[in-house]
Amino acid sequence: MSEPRFSRKTMAGSAVIVAALVILPYILMTLGKRGEYWIWVITEMVIMALFAISLNLILGFGGMVSFGHSAFYGTGAYTVALLIKKAGFPFFLALAAAPLLAGAAAAIIGWFCVRRIGLYFAILTLAFSQLLYMIAFQWYTFTGGDDGIHGIHRPDFFGPVHYYLFCLAILIASLLVMRMITRSAFGLAIRTIRENSERAKFIGIHVQRYQLLNFIIAGAFAGISGGLITELNRFAQTDFLHWTKSSEPIFASLVGGMYSLIGPVIGSTILMFLKIVLQQIHQSLVEIWALFLGLILLLVVLFAPEGITGLYQKFVRKT
Amino acid sequence: MKKVVFILLVLFFAWGTIASAPVFGQDKIKLGFIADMPGIGATFYKSQKEAIEMFIEETNAKGGILGKKLELVIRDSQLKPDVGSNVARELILNEKCDFLIGPTSSAVALAVTKVAQEFKKIIFFHTSNTEKLTTTDFHPYMFQVVPNTGIEGGGIALYLSKKPYKRYTFIGPDYAYGQTQWASFKEDLKRLKPDVEILDAVWVKVGETNYSSYIPTLMARNPEVIYSSLWGGGLSSFIKQALPYGLFKKATITSLFDLDMLRATGMDMPEGLLGYARCPFYAINTPEMKAFTKRFYDKYKEWPSDWAIMVYDGLLVLQEAIKKTQSLDSEKIAKALDGLKWNSLRGPRYIRAEDHMANVGIYVGITTKDPRFKDFLIMKNVEEVPAEKVWMSVEELKKVRQQAK
Amino acid sequence: MEINFLLFQLLNGLTEGMILFIVASGLSLVFGVLRVINFAHGSLYMIGAYLAFSLSTRFPQFTLGPYLLLMILVPAGIAAIGLLLEVTLFRRIYGKEHLLQLLLTYALVLVLDDLVRLVWGGDIRNVPRPPSLAGSVEFLSLSFPTYNIFILLLGPAIALGLWWLLYRTHAGNLIRAAVTYPEMLGALGTNVTWVMTGTFVLGCVLAGIGGVLMSALANIDLGIAMEKIIDCFAVVVIGGLGSVWGVLLSSLIIGVGKSYLSLILVRLAMVFPFFVMALVLVIRPWGLFGKPER
Repeated sequence: MSEPRFSRKTMAGSAVIVAALVILPYILMTLGKRGEYWIWVITEMVIMALFAISLNLILGFGGMVSFGHSAFYGTGAYTVALLIKKAGFPFFLALAAAPLLAGAAAAIIGWFCVRRIGLYFAILTLAFSQLLYMIAFQWYTFTGGDDGIHGIHRPDFFGPVHYYLFCLAILIASLLVMRMITRSAFGLAIRTIRENSERAKFIGIHVQRYQLLNFIIAGAFAGISGGLITELNRFAQTDFLHWTKSSEPIFASLVGGMYSLIGPVIGSTILMFLKIVLQQIHQSLVEIWALFLGLILLLVVLFAPEGITGLYQKFVRKT
Repeated sequence: MKKVVFILLVLFFAWGTIASAPVFGQDKIKLGFIADMPGIGATFYKSQKEAIEMFIEETNAKGGILGKKLELVIRDSQLKPDVGSNVARELILNEKCDFLIGPTSSAVALAVTKVAQEFKKIIFFHTSNTEKLTTTDFHPYMFQVVPNTGIEGGGIALYLSKKPYKRYTFIGPDYAYGQTQWASFKEDLKRLKPDVEILDAVWVKVGETNYSSYIPTLMARNPEVIYSSLWGGGLSSFIKQALPYGLFKKATITSLFDLDMLRATGMDMPEGLLGYARCPFYAINTPEMKAFTKRFYDKYKEWPSDWAIMVYDGLLVLQEAIKKTQSLDSEKIAKALDGLKWNSLRGPRYIRAEDHMANVGIYVGITTKDPRFKDFLIMKNVEEVPAEKVWMSVEELKKVRQQAK
Repeated sequence: MEINFLLFQLLNGLTEGMILFIVASGLSLVFGVLRVINFAHGSLYMIGAYLAFSLSTRFPQFTLGPYLLLMILVPAGIAAIGLLLEVTLFRRIYGKEHLLQLLLTYALVLVLDDLVRLVWGGDIRNVPRPPSLAGSVEFLSLSFPTYNIFILLLGPAIALGLWWLLYRTHAGNLIRAAVTYPEMLGALGTNVTWVMTGTFVLGCVLAGIGGVLMSALANIDLGIAMEKIIDCFAVVVIGGLGSVWGVLLSSLIIGVGKSYLSLILVRLAMVFPFFVMALVLVIRPWGLFGKPER
């Protein structure tokens, strides 16, 4: 995270990767029905990658554990669902509203949570996201409760490939925006706070305000990913708000490497891929997925907390 | 540069894995089962799987359907709708299943039915019984063989309206399922018997395991009948916890007394409670049911639950439809389902054309000990409330669908 | 609403509150001494409950004797599991970033909860109440279950026992010292490791006791771990970490509050702990009995 600016090499490398990702769906189309399934999968991967990097803004970058990020993912999801289904909004307008409402939710919840540090912060994020879940679950006249909101219309021009490219574009744009944020004065302040919040206070940084702002931005991006997944699935469901959903980006960030921007993307993609492949190898492996995941996480925390990108940096990029 | 090559290699490897997964031959009929395996789904899953496997075994022994053997592919939807829709998609596109068997959870069912509709795959529902599946979310490629929430609520209301009970209350978890059940039950009952007294309901926390605060509240209302949307383990806990309070001395509780719940409550179950079941093997005396029950018990050493019977029944419908059209084509089968008659384990039944709902009613009875069953109670004096008496009429169906648009 | 009915609900709430206290005090102690918030505390409680279930089925006649035996065996079992976890996992993370500690115990929750599912399956279970505790007592024209009374007597007994342990024994002195002056303790030559391990095991014992009590009070299923840990968190935020009395008071507040609110509107009952947490956060962020920022 300390490279000065886009070096020629990085730009060329990134361009190749992006090109590969853009061509990918067209290659998959050649595989017929199976390919269609995988296009849908990679779209989901892109969206979940966005969710993961949004969390990492708080986790790896901000140094705070949030167990309640699903609250904003879910808020974005329901915003899009309700606006399209009940208010008849066109898709793009609804999607634009998602980060706004998610950000608002983050502002409210965040205000309470940043009043405490570290462990308390984590507990509070968990508690408030569960609260939101319970509210959505019970307010079935508005949210459809456990049934969820189904039958969300998708505009005709969004075939599977086009929707994938749309999500990919949003992911890349978000990555660039986040890169900008992490390098700005604001980003510097956040990093200072992460290293030593006492010292940050002495320098005159209003710690809570910055943390809250960071939290809100992260929430807004999570809201976008929630909105995108609703459109992909064509439904929104209370599960999107459940604490178990919050755990996905945490694992992704940890496994992929929470100290890098790209880490969560890699982690998210690998974990999703692993799950699908396991499912196909043998049915029974899926039944122990949670156990498997927990063990991976334990190992990562104990032996490789910098994740895959961290290991990569250590072994491949010997400086 | 190394980084780029590395990533490209990974992508290539991934593509290779995907492309090389084995593809099965087309001389089989693949059934894709979207199963809710974890947590509360576990007991359902076990008996559903047993029934499906028994059907496949028996059918394959006779040479399959249309000369093709049946094969089962199972995926876990984990009681989560987004996982459910993912695996449904996977079963259709990746595994190339010909037909889908639905899940336990109604929430998952609602997500999955949309996927089936999108890809025009035939799917049937045997346990999840939300009315939405056949009303607002209906599409011709689905059918349902379990009495839906409308039939259930309406059925028990009709039965009770003929009894002398006057004071009714309700206990159930505070969410969509419970709320809609009580609402429609109240409405139906009031309409059939205007002089009933509907007392305030007692709402419990979803997933509650400790009912000690609610029981005295319930008793304070002094009801004669407690209608409950608690089911399975939750109902069993409630009954066990309520016993020391003496709740059942004054009131009867009426709820879903399916076999799993009866087994879980065991001999703690009070006698004389009025309840209903969706498909109780011990009360349906058709020769098909008797034969099926015997085969099931011989094979698995346990009695078939309501869910096991209904999923088997659904497969019978499917088989009938395939035989009738002599094809596996979804369009043809969807058409054949309109008014399809078949010999259900419950007796001769048909599938209504307008909503692909089988005319299956609910069975109401009184709990009693029975010497044949040492570990649990069953129901006696069981009456079937036929679906035709209580299901939504075709006009009502059209109205509800119209409103949803 | 009649007064005896309100009293009745009060007793119900206190019963729940007592169990919550027993479990949450374990969590609070572990944090006070080890400075680790053990997410998996709820899972240990759940394992205790399931263990109680399995052991109870071994007895042909489940009377008071076997039940009391369970009260000893189960906490011992949980203590053993806790010891294993402490030695193999927790010791490695004592010095590390809070972030990693949290993630570790979170991962542990996943592993433990799934192991429970694999071993015991998804069905709802429970332990029958021993016949001597299974009845009810006529109280103000209402039947109050004997078992609840048992818990109401046991809770304060444990609270007293804990107090006695912490304030009247040498071991307790060490624990309290470790909470307030960790460096001093090492300097005085005490084996700090033993103090930490001992505290952790004590926390596990408390979780185990809570599990046994709950297994016969209500039914147990796979969701009780998460439910309990969230309530424990609420208790600890409201009461302040490291304070036994704070934990007791906030547990009772939450227990009774939920009980009364469930009469009025059950949705409010669910929201109650969060509401109180939010209130405490605004007014007195370090909890009712806690000390400002540690």
